[in-house]
Amino acid sequence: MKTLDDLRQFYNTTLLADLNVLEAGRKAIVQKLTYVGAAVAILVAIGLFIMAQSGVPSFPGILFPLIIGAVLFVFIASLLSKGYVRKFKGTIIQKIVRFIDDDLRYTAHRYIPKSTFMTSEIFKTKPNRYKGDDYVSGKVGTTQIEFSELHAEYESGSGKNRSRRTVFKGLFFIADFNKHFTCKTIVLPDTAEKLFGGFGKMFQSWNVLRGQLIKLEDPEFEKFFVVYGSDQIQARYILSTSLMERIINFKRKTDRPIYLSFVGSRVFVAVSYTKNLFEPRLFRTILDFELVQEYFEDLQLAAGIVDDLNLNTRIWSKQ
Amino acid sequence: MLIAIIIFVIALLIPVLIYNSLVAKKNQVLNVFGTIDALLKKRYDLIPNLVATVKGYMQHERTLLTEVTEMRAKAISDRTSDDEKVELDNKVTKVLSRIMLVVENYPDLKASDNFMHLQRTLTELEEQISAARRAYNAAVTDYNNAVEMFPTSMVASMMNYKRRRFFEISEKERQVVDAGKSFTA
Repeated sequence: MKTLDDLRQFYNTTLLADLNVLEAGRKAIVQKLTYVGAAVAILVAIGLFIMAQSGVPSFPGILFPLIIGAVLFVFIASLLSKGYVRKFKGTIIQKIVRFIDDDLRYTAHRYIPKSTFMTSEIFKTKPNRYKGDDYVSGKVGTTQIEFSELHAEYESGSGKNRSRRTVFKGLFFIADFNKHFTCKTIVLPDTAEKLFGGFGKMFQSWNVLRGQLIKLEDPEFEKFFVVYGSDQIQARYILSTSLMERIINFKRKTDRPIYLSFVGSRVFVAVSYTKNLFEPRLFRTILDFELVQEYFEDLQLAAGIVDDLNLNTRIWSKQ
Repeated sequence: MLIAIIIFVIALLIPVLIYNSLVAKKNQVLNVFGTIDALLKKRYDLIPNLVATVKGYMQHERTLLTEVTEMRAKAISDRTSDDEKVELDNKVTKVLSRIMLVVENYPDLKASDNFMHLQRTLTELEEQISAARRAYNAAVTDYNNAVEMFPTSMVASMMNYKRRRFFEISEKERQVVDAGKSFTA
């Protein structure tokens, strides 16, 4: 396990040189973007002037040139920074991944496929807008893992009624589990019980879509999570008392909504994030240790799940 | 008139629903108990294998091996009552863990493929047994709650359903994963 001191040393000896090169590229892009911004602003002003002359009502008419200007600016900005983002991920994120564990491989544009996302059965809604990036795979100790950032959304309606809601956004992690099992076990954040107490539990037991409600004896675990599964005994075989404790600690450590499922001898862990992960900054300097620390901590969180859940312990017949 | 019929139907339906849920809960308890039994049998089936593997190495602990063999014979015979079986199970758990401890003194045995395979199977079984016991206790809690809580308690007393006892889970079993320490040691 790498510490912050290791990272600081790695930052000074290796990353800083790359960051300096990238920083120069970033400044050049920002320079270009100021010109683009000025040009767009002038165009918008002309548009507004013409509208005022031809007597278009000032509201909501004034919004159109502004919106078109903003969209144009964002489009050009993303076009200009594309190469920079690719270069940044290819060097900095790639190196941080290798720094965490030399056996891990990073691919910026790949992600966990939708079919795997659905196999986990954590989320029942099938997303129709699905994207992701920052795919990492490899072996940590004896355990095969893979994870990526994902953004899955469900879009319904059309035209004016169109609405979009997020099914999941964050880190999605998969690892080979250390015990054999054939059943399905899903661990979800507990919302009903927190709000309604005992009645919440009763509602949960009626959730027929999810399978049987599995009531576990650890009161702290039950406070955070609700567990559904297809087999009462196997679910407890997977969620041993020590694993429950480890999951609670992991939940505390992340302090985010986390979802787990155990399907087909694999464990799936979804950690919710609101921010976009592993993206470089454009309008502020990247020569900042805290920024690198943030990437490191998010990556380490995922790679560390193996240790957090003790997946390298292979004392059962599965090796 | 319609309202009267609806009330009548509901009044008729509630006891039926309660009755069915009680039966389901009782069956869940019996079902899990059956699984524990099956798992324990599986563990008993391992014992002759274990004894055969270990026998060649262990010269000083012969009594331990004969003890466990006798216990197995007793446990699988039909004449043993349920209560005796539970007691035997606990004893077997203790003797098995003692054998596993003694193995530490025989590095050759510890490293043999045969023994390692046995040890893995045994740890897995022990953990499955512990999981089944926990499932049993959860099922019993559910059942006992229904037997004691109003209004299901009324129907339960008519059906002559009584509280059931829990499995005692020892401190050692709670930390069953620690058994793995013997691998790293």
